Amino acid sequence: MSRPEKFIIDGKRLDGRTPDQLRPIKIEVDYLKRADGSCYLEMGKNRVVAAVYGPREVHPRHLQDPTKAIIRYRYNMAPFSVEERKRPGPDRRSIEISKVSKEAFEAVIMKELFPRSAIDIFVEVLQADAGSRTACINAASVALVDAGIPMKGILTSVAVAKVDGVLVLDPMKEEDNYGEADIPFAFLIRGGKIESIALLQMDGKMTKEEIKEAINLAKKGAMEIYQMQREAIMKKFIEEGENE
Amino acid sequence: MRKIVLPGDLISTNPKVAGYGTYIEGDKVYAKILGLFDEAENSAKVIPLKGKYIPSIGDTVIGIVREVTANGWNLDINSPYQAFLPLTENPETKPGKKPNDILDLGDAVIAKVINIDPRMRVTVTMKDKICRAIRFGRIVAINPARIPRVIGKKGSMIKLLKSELDVQIVAGQNGLIWLNGDRRKISIAEEAIYLIEEEAHTEGLTDRVAEFLRRRKECLAQKNS
Amino acid sequence: MSNDILSEIKKDYVLSKLRDGERIDGRKFDEFRKLEIRTGLIGKAEGSAYVKLGNTQVVVGIKMQPGEPFPDVPDKGVIIVNAELVPLASPTFEPGPPDENSIELARVVDRGIRESEAVDLSKLCIEPGKKVWIIFVDIHALDDDGNLLDASAIASICALMNTKVPASRFGLGEDFDLPVNDIPVSVTSLIIGDKFLVDPTRDEMSVGERTLTVTVDKSDNIVAIQKSGDYLLSEPLFTEVLEASIRASKKIREEILRQCSKAC
Repeated sequence: MSRPEKFIIDGKRLDGRTPDQLRPIKIEVDYLKRADGSCYLEMGKNRVVAAVYGPREVHPRHLQDPTKAIIRYRYNMAPFSVEERKRPGPDRRSIEISKVSKEAFEAVIMKELFPRSAIDIFVEVLQADAGSRTACINAASVALVDAGIPMKGILTSVAVAKVDGVLVLDPMKEEDNYGEADIPFAFLIRGGKIESIALLQMDGKMTKEEIKEAINLAKKGAMEIYQMQREAIMKKFIEEGENE
Repeated sequence: MRKIVLPGDLISTNPKVAGYGTYIEGDKVYAKILGLFDEAENSAKVIPLKGKYIPSIGDTVIGIVREVTANGWNLDINSPYQAFLPLTENPETKPGKKPNDILDLGDAVIAKVINIDPRMRVTVTMKDKICRAIRFGRIVAINPARIPRVIGKKGSMIKLLKSELDVQIVAGQNGLIWLNGDRRKISIAEEAIYLIEEEAHTEGLTDRVAEFLRRRKECLAQKNS
Repeated sequence: MSNDILSEIKKDYVLSKLRDGERIDGRKFDEFRKLEIRTGLIGKAEGSAYVKLGNTQVVVGIKMQPGEPFPDVPDKGVIIVNAELVPLASPTFEPGPPDENSIELARVVDRGIRESEAVDLSKLCIEPGKKVWIIFVDIHALDDDGNLLDASAIASICALMNTKVPASRFGLGEDFDLPVNDIPVSVTSLIIGDKFLVDPTRDEMSVGERTLTVTVDKSDNIVAIQKSGDYLLSEPLFTEVLEASIRASKKIREEILRQCSKAC
């Protein structure tokens, strides 16, 4: 891949989207049999699977917290998920992503209800395509709901990038690699509204005004994704939760 | 039609009616789990569709002995939490008898939860008429969230199974069910339980189960004649 | 912990049904579960396949790049098989480097591909002694409901069958289909006393982790055998399992050809 000359031509991005458009998303709930909750999700060419196990006993014992559940999050990329084969196992990037993602969920999961236990969230990236960490958080969020884990609300994640001086929603590969800034967000959504920010990172250079604009753009995208997360969950459980 | 709600959905603006599966923040009541929204005069609650079994005081549970200690037995109760059965809470305890002669590793029991401390350390007893050591019969496991349906309103479903099949059934809140009786009748009971688990939240289930039992019993009678 | 209690209950159930000559899911003793195969799902990989065997799910991705040959085989391509039994797939898998189970799985799958000569490695030489094609077969478990090994072996050969060698990316000419000449099929059976159950589910495995895997090529040659677990195998039982494995492998190969035919 080489740096494109222009990112936006006649108001359209390199893949035909307008600056405020998301890539296509597909969500499947309860995708795995063994996990307590699970979700398969596609966002652009990202293909991710999230699984939740828990609450469950913690081993070894010394990791237990007597007052609440510990939350563990493992973001992992399959060797075949990227252009050049990636050696299996965590690298520094995966470890950082796992940390900030875990912290986002720690803020919304009602950990105090399950002392001395663990809630484990595993996300595997089968194919990566810019924004895999946001795709993973969206999948993990659905998997947690599927597992019946009590939470304050739902987490929805999306990134905003700046290219050719313009803010774009849900950046694709070229925008992510060669843009002037990249900001992944995750929001807590409650009562049908975006309430607060659970994950926030930035890479690049932006003015204060641009950042405020970026938040608004991200919120718009997040509400759209939230609707899709809801629909996917409803669709799965409508079969089960019929009238009585 | 009962609505499905997700964590964070606004359930009510009256904190007084907040029931199971909800939480209060300020003057708002939100759902905290995925489930069916159930509204009555004085309560707004969410009936869970899934989730691990978390013990409550008063629950009947079926457990398996994982560890024998000098003071009692540690039981696996199909939960993130183990349960402890003290020697003193087992009616079969007698002075001079060693704990592992009363209950050994791998033995199954029906017990009742009598205490849970803030660290979720659970204590159970066998001093209740429903409790016993399980020495025969079979244990079946289902999603714990479906147990209320297997029991039914005021025990109607479990009574149906017991009377139609003439088998003993004890349903633990932790998703384990003990069945005892004629081998073939137990098989039918088991199938019926899986049917209930599958269709827990649909209408007319009790009638369908009654019909299922009738057909299976006919089948059995034909085989015998 | 709560998996222990459920697997104990399942174990009793499996054994009691076995005494009646039945399996808990009603299958015959030498029958595989329903098999679903999808290929080419990972566009960025050179080849890929998803397999669902009963409820067991696995994805295999093929990546290729030029590299150095083994010194003793300077003019043949290299196949490297790796299995990741990621914690997502089972409550008993832990994160970390491959343990003995994932290493065994990868090596048995590798043996089947290598000994059947399924891939014509002689066609993968770029410069003898200096450069050959390296094929990475990466197995990624998603959902362990028993017999990940056979599911992985099926996914691996299907992924290879739909692989395109990315020559153009490295300035080595035009892309071409990876030459695949055989379809090795592995058949794993759970051994219980003097009986065997082909393609055991996780519930059936709760009786004990004792299996026998036989890999068969398209000409009914045996190209790999693996006895796994702490048990003693009698000769008559071994012969029985061998025959049943050859029969079962044919049905699986038919299914692979049926579902995998277009892209392969």
